Amino acid sequence: MTRLRRAGLAPDRGPLAVAAEGPGGLRLLALDPEARALGLRPGEPLGRVRARIGVPLQVHPADPESDRAALLRLCRWAEGYAPGVAPFGPAEAADGFYIDVAGASHLRGGEGPLVDDLAGRLARSKIPARIALADTPGGAFALAGYGTSDRVIVPPGGAAEPLRALPVEALRLDPGTVSGLRRLGLRRVGEVDALARGPLARRFGEALLLRLDQAMGRRPEPLAPLTEEAAYRAARGFLDPIGRQSDIVVTARLLMAEIAPRLEREGLGACALRLVLHRVDGVMRVLDLGLSRPERCPERVAALVSLRLDRLGAGLDAGFGFETVALTVTVTGALSARQTELGAAPQGDGIDALADALAQRLGRPLLRLGARASHIPERADHTLPWTLQCSDSASRKSRRAPSPVRERVGVRDQGSPERSHPSPGSLREQISPARERGPEPQPDSCESHSPLTRAPTSWPDHLPPRPLVLFPRGEAALDVLSTVPEGPPRRFRWRARIHAIVHAEGPERIAAEWWHAPGAARDYYRVECAAGRRLWLYRDGPHAPGRPAAWFVHGVFA
Amino acid sequence: MGLDPTNQTGRDPASGSPRERLAALRAHLAGPGGPAAPRPVLPLGLAGIDAHLPGGGLALGPPHEIAPMEPADAVAALGFVLALCAGRLARTRGAALIAAAPSQPLPHGHGLAGLGLDPARLLLLEGGSDAEVFRALEAALHARALPVLVGLLADGLPLKPGRRLQLAAEGGADGTAPPLLLILRPAEAGLPNGAATRWRIASAPAGRDRFGTLDNPRWRARLERCRNGRGGDWLLEWDHAAHRLRLPEPLACDAAAAGRSRA
Repeated sequence: MTRLRRAGLAPDRGPLAVAAEGPGGLRLLALDPEARALGLRPGEPLGRVRARIGVPLQVHPADPESDRAALLRLCRWAEGYAPGVAPFGPAEAADGFYIDVAGASHLRGGEGPLVDDLAGRLARSKIPARIALADTPGGAFALAGYGTSDRVIVPPGGAAEPLRALPVEALRLDPGTVSGLRRLGLRRVGEVDALARGPLARRFGEALLLRLDQAMGRRPEPLAPLTEEAAYRAARGFLDPIGRQSDIVVTARLLMAEIAPRLEREGLGACALRLVLHRVDGVMRVLDLGLSRPERCPERVAALVSLRLDRLGAGLDAGFGFETVALTVTVTGALSARQTELGAAPQGDGIDALADALAQRLGRPLLRLGARASHIPERADHTLPWTLQCSDSASRKSRRAPSPVRERVGVRDQGSPERSHPSPGSLREQISPARERGPEPQPDSCESHSPLTRAPTSWPDHLPPRPLVLFPRGEAALDVLSTVPEGPPRRFRWRARIHAIVHAEGPERIAAEWWHAPGAARDYYRVECAAGRRLWLYRDGPHAPGRPAAWFVHGVFA
Repeated sequence: MGLDPTNQTGRDPASGSPRERLAALRAHLAGPGGPAAPRPVLPLGLAGIDAHLPGGGLALGPPHEIAPMEPADAVAALGFVLALCAGRLARTRGAALIAAAPSQPLPHGHGLAGLGLDPARLLLLEGGSDAEVFRALEAALHARALPVLVGLLADGLPLKPGRRLQLAAEGGADGTAPPLLLILRPAEAGLPNGAATRWRIASAPAGRDRFGTLDNPRWRARLERCRNGRGGDWLLEWDHAAHRLRLPEPLACDAAAAGRSRA
C-alpha cells in the first residue's frame, strides 16, 4: 500500500485496499487506515465489501513480487545502520525487516537515538513503521507488531515481562495453532508460557515451543542477512584526500589488482566497471566504464580510467580531493584462460583494445556497416556498433581466402558461450545473460545481439552496381530536359550546376515496400555527365502521359 | 645538425658521383641507426607511378593527403581512397578504420562491392570535429591494430596534427608495419603540412567495355607533391573485375584516354 502511494500509483487520500484471489473470489488483503475506519477487515470478500460500504473504494491487485523488491530496497537502505539486515520471511508476513544492531548502536549514540533516527527517517519518507528493539528477533517482532506503542525499547534481559502480555499471534504461529490455543482459552503469551511444556508439545507440536523459546531468548535464532550484491568490489580510503589524475589512476589499478584474483578464481572477467569517487564534501562522482570483452588486467583498466579522466578533464572537479575511491565490477563475463598459439596473432587483433580506448577517450563507439533485407536503397544498409564477433569472423574469413574479390559475410557460426561478449553500447540490456541464451531470441534484443543469436542479414550477391555515396533521400533534379518522355534526361540542374548527360544505363525499377509505407516505384538510371561524374538518378513513379516526371539524384558513383 | 668533422664522407669532394655523395650524406643524416631497413610501402602495381614514389610505392606510416580537384569531385576522391584501401587490405589481414568528421559522406555499404571492399572489414567512427578525428587516428596509430586508417576531414590537415600523426606512425617500431594513413580533405582547404604525398583527384569519363557500361570508373590523378619523389599526372582506371588500378590502354576510339596519360 505504501509502495503504491510512494510510486504515485494510488491517490494520497480516500480509502484504499489491496485485493488478491482467495477462496471464493477476490478478498481484501491489506487496508489503509481510512479503509479500516470504514469497518473493513482483511480477508473479507471484495464483492460483499463493495455492497456494504457506500463510499468508493480504490482497489489494487496484489503484487507480491513488487512488494518483495520494495522490501529489499528498504533493507538495502537500512544497511546504513548495521550490516546485518534480514527481511521478514513468509512466517512474519513479509512486511518488515530485522536489523541486528549488536555492536553498531553506539555509532548513533546509543539505542534510543538509533531508534529515533530510524523512525524519523521513515516518517519523512512517509513509510508508516512500528519499531521495537529487544534481545531476540522473536521478541522484537512480537513487540513491534502487537506492542502498545510505535516505538518500544526493551532493556537487555527485560524482554520476558512485556512479552507475556501480548496475544499469542505475536509468536509467529500458523493460524491453526493460534485458533487451537484460543479454543483452550490461552490468549496471552504469558498463559502459554506458564503451562507444562510436555503436553503443549504433544498437543501443538514442536513449532510452538520453538517460537516461544525464540521469543523468550531461551533458544538462539540466527538471522539470514542479505548477501552482498556486488561480490567484486574494492575500496580504498585516504587520510589525505587525493585529487591528481595520476593518483586516481594508480588507485584504480591497485583496486583492480585486488579484485582480479577473485575474478580469476571464478573464471570471470569484468565487462563493465563503476568507479565511484567520494569527494570530501560528500559529492559522489560515478564513472561507468564499458569494455568490449571481459577483462581483468589491472593495467588495462587503469589505462581506460586514465583515458576517461583525460576526456573529462576539468569536468571531474576534484575540489578539495577525494577521500574514498571504490571500484565495483557491475557486469561480469566468462573469461577462461586461453592458450596462445606460438606465432599466431592474438585474437581480436587488438581492435577491442582500440575500441575501448576510443570509447573512453572520445566517448564514441566504433561502428560497422550492416546489411538489411530491403530493396529500398536508403534502407538497405545501416551502421551498427562494432562487436568482437565481427572482427573474429572477418579475420577468419580473410585467412581462408586472402583475395578481396567480392567477399561476402556468410552465415556466422553461433558463437560459443565464452565468445558472447557484449558490446559497450548494449551492456545495460545484457545484465541477465540467461535471457539472451533462451530458446528463442527475444524480439527486443535482436537488434543489438544479432551477431550473437542469429546470423545477420548478409550482403546480397547479385545486385546491380550501387553508388559509393548514397544520399539519405533523393535530391531534386531541376529543369529536366529529356529527348524521350519515358527515357532518362539529357540535361538537368542539380546543386546549382547544369549536368549534360552523355551516357545513361537503366532503368532498374525498385518497387516501394508497401508494408512500410505506400509509395511509387522508382526507375533508377546510372548516368554519366560530360565532366565524367557518374550519378544515380531516379524518376519517382513510372512515366504517365499527363504527369510531369519528378527526377531525383540519389547517389554518386566513384 | 652539423656534420661530424671526423667523418670523411661529407668532406671529400672527390668521392664518387654526386648521386653517391647525396646517398652517403642521407645515410649520415639518418643517424646511427641508419636507413637499415627500407621503409615498407604499398606499391600501386603500376610501374609508371611507382617509379615516381620513393621506395616504389606509398610509404606506410606518414600521412598521405588526397583532395578532390574541385568540390564536386569529392566522391571520386573517396573512391580513389577506398581503392587504395582495398589494395592494402588485399595484401594483409585486419580491417580499415574510417574516421569521419561530421557531414562528411560515408560510403554506402552496397557500393563498396564495386571497389572490392568487404563491408565487414570496414570500421567507422563518426567524430564530432576534425580534432576528434585526429585523436582517433593517433590512438589507432599507437595501437597498431589496423592496417589502414582513413581520415575524412572537414577543414584540412594543419601542420601540427600532421606532425603528431607522423610521430605516432614512427613510434612503437616493434617489427609490425605501420598502417597506411590516408587523409581525405575538401578541395579548398589546402594547408601546409607534413604529408608524404598530396594527390588531386578528379573524375573522368568511365572506361567502357564492349557493352558500354560504367563499371570501370576513371580518375584523373595528379601527384602534386611527393617528398623525395617526382610529381605526375595520370589517368587511372579501376578494374572492377580484378579489383586493381590500371593505366587505361589508349584505344583508337577512346578519346578520353588518348593523349591524357603522360608521366
